[in-house]
Amino acid sequence: MIFIVIFCLSVVGESGRIAVQFLKKGSNPKIYEGAAQPSLKSCRLMLSDVVGKLNVWSGSVQHGLEGLMYLLTESCKLTISEEDFQDSVLVLGFSEELTELLLQLYLENRKEIRQILSKPAPSLPHYHSLEWRLDVQLSSRPLRHQLKPTVTLKLHLEDGARRSAHVLQTDPATLQHLIDELERALAELKSSHCRRILRNIK
Amino acid sequence: MRFRFCGDLDCPDWVLAEMSTLARMSSVKMKLLCVQVIKDLLDEGIDYDKVSKLTSDAKFESGDIKASIAVLSFILSSAAKHDVDSDSLSSELQQLGLPKEHTTGLCKSYEDKHSALQEKLREISLRLGRLEAVNWRVDYTLSSSELKQVNEPTVQLKLQAQDPETDSTQTTVVSITADKFRVLLTELKQAQTMMNALQ
Repeated sequence: MIFIVIFCLSVVGESGRIAVQFLKKGSNPKIYEGAAQPSLKSCRLMLSDVVGKLNVWSGSVQHGLEGLMYLLTESCKLTISEEDFQDSVLVLGFSEELTELLLQLYLENRKEIRQILSKPAPSLPHYHSLEWRLDVQLSSRPLRHQLKPTVTLKLHLEDGARRSAHVLQTDPATLQHLIDELERALAELKSSHCRRILRNIK
Repeated sequence: MRFRFCGDLDCPDWVLAEMSTLARMSSVKMKLLCVQVIKDLLDEGIDYDKVSKLTSDAKFESGDIKASIAVLSFILSSAAKHDVDSDSLSSELQQLGLPKEHTTGLCKSYEDKHSALQEKLREISLRLGRLEAVNWRVDYTLSSSELKQVNEPTVQLKLQAQDPETDSTQTTVVSITADKFRVLLTELKQAQTMMNALQ
């Protein structure tokens, strides 16, 4: 990080932009395949440009960039205020304009970086759609002249890119029970206990 | 307010909100847009260039175009789903605030393609494990390692069905002896008579 002190101002602006690009493209591993390769290449081109301008070893530029990325992600993770950010950066001993530039970078990209950071969190498969069908069984091999209604459900779930489908079958009484339980769950939201907690979060 | 075309439930808020968007188009253009939406519902493909030409007069943005296609799809498929006749649909749409000329245009397109829409919806209804193909072969076993003279006919049956959960085709091959096959055939014929009686 001490190396950054030697940077001239325009280069810091440029590498700050590269750092945000890396954060945007690099954090989602899927993007590495195919589509973002050209943009990663352009990032690398910018890097080599910076290296050429400064006449320094590319490894230290890489370290510098990683340091910038770490600074941005940590500050976004904790959503620290402007003054705290300025105080922490001042400790590193940068010049006024450098601190100002870093602060600008942080404020502009804060929201986006937070959005990217929220994605890799572990998640359960969630609801995509539901197909249903109502049948009546009239007769079967052992027994004729029946009247048995059944509801067949196909629940489509989505987990990231993976889709899965689950086939379920129920009689109308169980379905009614299921509906009552789910409505009871929804009604919980309106109970005073839940409302108190939601009020405090908001 | 209960609407028949929504299945005797309240009309969704977004449909109500988009009525004003639809009213911005001329009724002739809206009828042509309905034709395009019906083609999309029947899986005949929607011509987006034509749609953008139709909506360019009313200066629709891309959000407005998407909204108008969505609301027309909803009205037409929901009306076909609940088997609503075009007169009731016309009066209900006017209650929601759609101008009379637009409503008549929409209901005319609906009436023309009413049965085709219902056929399509019947086709895409949930069905598990569709049988796709049946192949059979009759063999005659002459002898085997166990018995010198076997002289028995067998049926080899190959069934290709769709797996209910993954929607991929699965093949099952069974070989059936003559007696078992006779039982299977009788049972299936009984099921067939029962199905014919229902139709």
